[in-house]
Amino acid sequence: MDAHFRAFSFVDRITSVQEGKRIRGRYAIPAELRDFPLALVGEAVGQLAAWAAMAAVDFGQRPLAGLAGSIELLREPRAGQVLELAADLESVDAESVGYSGTAHVDGALMLRLENCVGPMMPMADFDDPQKLRSRFEKLCRAGADPGSFPSLPSLTFERTGGDAGRSVSASFQVPSAAPLFADHFPRRPVFPGSLLMHVNLQLGAVLASGIPPPARGRWVPGTIQDMKLRSFMLPGTTLQLEARLKQHSHDSASLALETRTTQGVIATAGLLLKAGDGV
Amino acid sequence: MAVYPKIAEIIAAALPCEIERVKLEASLIDDLGAQSIDFLDIVFRLERAFKVKIPRGKLIEDARGSLSQAEFEQAGVVSPAGLERLKEFLSEVPQARFVSPVKVADIPRLFTTETFCKIVIRQQRAAATAAGAKPA
Repeated sequence: MDAHFRAFSFVDRITSVQEGKRIRGRYAIPAELRDFPLALVGEAVGQLAAWAAMAAVDFGQRPLAGLAGSIELLREPRAGQVLELAADLESVDAESVGYSGTAHVDGALMLRLENCVGPMMPMADFDDPQKLRSRFEKLCRAGADPGSFPSLPSLTFERTGGDAGRSVSASFQVPSAAPLFADHFPRRPVFPGSLLMHVNLQLGAVLASGIPPPARGRWVPGTIQDMKLRSFMLPGTTLQLEARLKQHSHDSASLALETRTTQGVIATAGLLLKAGDGV
Repeated sequence: MAVYPKIAEIIAAALPCEIERVKLEASLIDDLGAQSIDFLDIVFRLERAFKVKIPRGKLIEDARGSLSQAEFEQAGVVSPAGLERLKEFLSEVPQARFVSPVKVADIPRLFTTETFCKIVIRQQRAAATAAGAKPA
């Protein structure tokens, strides 16, 4: 079965759109999934914003993940729930889109993106503009059949070093082949920035386990700050990951996350941990 | 230049680098190691901090001034007339850095911290003029 619009697509209905300004939509998390990480909720909000941006430039360009000023991680959704997605565009043109957005489930805020920027790239390098246009019309009218997302490939890293509670480093191999690459993107497979965020959150959790615990509860991820992706991550690339403790107090801890290839630093972010029982 | 301290802070946060390195004459690419994604980051941060709009692509358009695109550049290379206009527009950039031929794609290599100060000031003035021109 064609994996396009199935293997890594997280908007199955656009409920309203005001060209170049705002867009609302939803995504039903397939009930049979074991889990649906918050990174994919962020991806869903980003994809909704991308639909608005692509429509605003008549599908001549498409945005890619670039910058996220703040990603507030509030609640992990469950399989079977419906994400209510919203994105408000600050600006959009042939070079970039700036936006903020949210995801709710039953009125409860799950995730909030603020001050995000996606560089716009020539659509034809990544996908068929006509297919995107048709898909957009379908999402705006009847919507797509929900439940087509199969699951994520295995995304595990190998620890390579560190200093308990102060830093941890690891090696991560981007899968050489996975269904998601047929969707992200058909003409140029790129490892999604949201999945790098997911892997980095796992690494942050390893580091957090060595930090003296907060006064109450345990360390849980609170906010990703100033995430910046500097380069495409191609299938099969080996990434070197590092998480470092910058500072911590009785109720918060701040980590620096860095991802490198042999070419240098390709992604950076801050991760604010808070005291809690779980996201 | 009153906007400089804030702009230096923004550039240092975006790259990131020590604020002491963000001198007025520093080239963002050659001296501070900025990449294209950093330019986007800086522009959006400036817009939010100074409440101005900086249309992407407008920098090159402004640099052209009254020259048409064909007069300014041919096949991606800045023409002699275009180069003179560019030197005038980027007057804060030392003349020695305009090494001919200059590719249009390489124009951002010339941008300094002061270039961004000038952009912000220009946009602030444009916004003030537009606000003043509005009917009561």
